[in-house]
Amino acid sequence: MSQLVAREKEVTLLDLLDRILNKGVILWGDVTISVADVDLIYLGLKVLLSSVETAERMRKAKAQSSMQNMPCNI
Amino acid sequence: MIYLYAITDRPERPIPAEPGLEGAPLINLVCRDIAAVASHLTMVKVPPAEANLWRHEAVVEALMVDRTVLPARFGTVFTDEAAIQGTLAVHYAEFEADLKRVCGRVELGLRVLWDDNDNQPLDANHKKRLNGQRPAISGRAYLLSRLEEERQAQAQRQRAKALAKKLHTLLTQLATQSTWQVLVTPRLLLTAAYLVERERVTSFQRKVEALSTIFPELHFLCTGPWPPYSFVTAGIAMIPSEDMENARSQP
Repeated sequence: MSQLVAREKEVTLLDLLDRILNKGVILWGDVTISVADVDLIYLGLKVLLSSVETAERMRKAKAQSSMQNMPCNI
Repeated sequence: MIYLYAITDRPERPIPAEPGLEGAPLINLVCRDIAAVASHLTMVKVPPAEANLWRHEAVVEALMVDRTVLPARFGTVFTDEAAIQGTLAVHYAEFEADLKRVCGRVELGLRVLWDDNDNQPLDANHKKRLNGQRPAISGRAYLLSRLEEERQAQAQRQRAKALAKKLHTLLTQLATQSTWQVLVTPRLLLTAAYLVERERVTSFQRKVEALSTIFPELHFLCTGPWPPYSFVTAGIAMIPSEDMENARSQP
């Protein structure tokens, strides 16, 4: 797997996590996933964000020419 | 147990063959002209593992091919079908209004990173200055130095906000709704989501490409189309127990 593909997957997973764990219809089911678990993961996003930034910084030269391959899950 | 993926319109349409969590088939629970799409579950809790997150997403995306969806937050589990139908009845008006608002639209995500060399000099300068002046630095000099750091940081935040606002304003012209945050982390200039008409998705992506040419010092990361996670207003943090009881007692 190329670095670029890895980066796209990482960014897309980050976007998925950001949405699926924190947004959407929030209902109180009879049993919902432990809120503590979700919050723990969501707190971890800050770390993940930083890792994305670090990856960006290291791959900046490559990234500049990658706009045609934007990480879109179309 | 039963796991909820999304609330949809067009309940008469056949549900996709996409398997749910644990490979279980999807079921359609109808309330008037809306439906909840769910699947039976042997687990009481769903671990937020990557495979489970993507399975939830795959189901929601399969649904959004031919209907409007309000994606549920990951991990919403009910004891039985009646509990979901009760919830549909209680929140029917909110779901219906949300479905109308997002109908024909998808969400696009955007993160814009800015160059740390140009915009993160403060820490380095601060350390350099402190190291250079040690041990002779006085309390007054230190405080003046910190004051200057704070002024620079404030100016930087203002520059970031102005730049993020400029980009965001250009993109909102192609969206019906949007959310945005500036400097979630020091290098994340803009974190935004846009609700965009399906037929405008390509125009939006082209606009992002054009902006990346205009601002070569920035890096743009655009993802989507996503189900409209960021633009759902229906649902609540907690249903009062008496409401749930009323809802379940309805036929």
